[in-house]
Amino acid sequence: MSETWRNRLMLLIALAMAAIYLFPLYWMYITTLKSGSAMFATPPSFWPHDPQWSNYIYVWESRNLARYLGNSLVIATGSVALITVLGTGCAYVLARYRNGWIDAGLFLILMLQVLPASLMITPIFVGFSQLGLLDYPRLAVVLAIAAKSMPFFVVLVRATFMSVPIELEEAALVDGNSRAGAFLHIVLPLARNGILVSAILIFMQAFGEFVYSKSIIQAVEYQPASVGLNSFMGPNTNEWNSIMAFATIYVTPILAIFVLLQRRIVSGLTSGALK
Amino acid sequence: MKPLRKFAQSLTDGRGFDILLVAVPLAFLLALSGLPLVYNVLMSFQEVDMFSLGSVVRPFVGFANYTALFEQPETWPIFANTAIFVSASIAGQFLIGFGLALFFWVNFPGASWLRGLFLVSWVMPGLVVGAIWNWMLSGDFGVINFLLRESGIISGNIFWRSDPAYALWAVILANIWLGTSFNMILLSVGLSAIPADLYEAAELDGANLWQRFYTITLPMMRSSIGAVVSLGLIFTLQQFDLFAAITSGGPNNASNVAQYWAWDLSFKQYDFARGATISVIMILFVMLASVVYVRSTRQEVRG
Repeated sequence: MSETWRNRLMLLIALAMAAIYLFPLYWMYITTLKSGSAMFATPPSFWPHDPQWSNYIYVWESRNLARYLGNSLVIATGSVALITVLGTGCAYVLARYRNGWIDAGLFLILMLQVLPASLMITPIFVGFSQLGLLDYPRLAVVLAIAAKSMPFFVVLVRATFMSVPIELEEAALVDGNSRAGAFLHIVLPLARNGILVSAILIFMQAFGEFVYSKSIIQAVEYQPASVGLNSFMGPNTNEWNSIMAFATIYVTPILAIFVLLQRRIVSGLTSGALK
Repeated sequence: MKPLRKFAQSLTDGRGFDILLVAVPLAFLLALSGLPLVYNVLMSFQEVDMFSLGSVVRPFVGFANYTALFEQPETWPIFANTAIFVSASIAGQFLIGFGLALFFWVNFPGASWLRGLFLVSWVMPGLVVGAIWNWMLSGDFGVINFLLRESGIISGNIFWRSDPAYALWAVILANIWLGTSFNMILLSVGLSAIPADLYEAAELDGANLWQRFYTITLPMMRSSIGAVVSLGLIFTLQQFDLFAAITSGGPNNASNVAQYWAWDLSFKQYDFARGATISVIMILFVMLASVVYVRSTRQEVRG
């Protein structure tokens, strides 16, 4: 078998596997276009013969999706801002030196990275309520998410800083820059891409965050889309086309960002998780 | 003024600069992760109710919360569920992920792009993944039941979410789907780090495909596999959204696991002390797993 035929065959199998793997996503999109009766038809149809685009408009308006997505955006943006500002410098120092203190710091960061949110929420909730932070529910969620996700960000960005040659920084110091100047003008611009990719990953995580928002935010006008989707799914619901439309509107921006930046996100992720 | 200026200069151009950059985030993390951790342990030794929620000083009860926890009839079944959930999820994610990684390792045009595409399952919000699987696993109209019926695997519908025998497996299925791609990507990285000349040499010596797999691939992948499996353990113990979206731990705790139960006790039954007690036990487990993770990636951590 020639090389090209082998390649084509492999590609074909790979496409088939991707199609099977991504079927749940397809099923989400297709359900949004079905009417109430088409949804419960047996056998189910695998192609929308009579697409009901109005499902989207109905869900957008009846579930007040703009407000939910706005809250998700506020929470995700706040978390990413806080994490980037605090985490970048930390990652830089952890990448630049090599001694017992740094090892201890790294170990601490790795340990904090693994704490499950659903287990940490009990003390966080009680503590926040004693501090009065629950009166600012979105801020409280941003703080909780920042504490949860910053270690992951630090691990990813540290890997980026490790790839910036230290000689460049030393040259800048010889040229009369202060440490802060060399960091801001030489090191940061060189690490910009890695920081950006890590921030996007954190943003996607925070945009979908559920445990903290569900537990801390009681008032519906401050709840993000994940909590909205959860309360839309009652135990005996049959509005699956609307629920899937909700999920579609929620997840499609994330998927679009991911597909566009796929190569960078994947390489950023792998450099951090194993190094 | 001189010491002040010296101090300011150290912050921009000396030791102080590094210390500042590290100290602020570490203080933040200690305040928002470290303190809650300690507070959690404290609460697990206290009697906490709605009236004492506002004060830190509460009646000390020793190990009463722990002994009461293990006298509850549902405790052991839920811990057993947790063990099943974790081991089945990791096994599924790892085996499928490794298989896919091996397949995509054979380089062909488009391989890396397609491989990356799989990762969408991992970047989606857990609630959305849960909603999709909830709908696909629905008893009467779910597409999974339809496909299983058509292929002759089952004759009657399986009520995935409400049948106690299947509820936990419904969540496991969704979790395997969610985590497989992440396993695959990390294992791919490990595979691509194996030097190709090892295989060329083995081929010259007449080793067949299986022999090459057992004598080269598996041993060379040992630290990657260790890292992926312990990361899998950490991630599955963090899994909460799928339970909230698919079964809510029901029916009658048949699909309940420790990390969901801890939340349920605190926020549905307002028994914060009990919730804290389970959290302490589970966090100890997770920390043990992460020590294994750190050890298996230690070469890289130390550079």
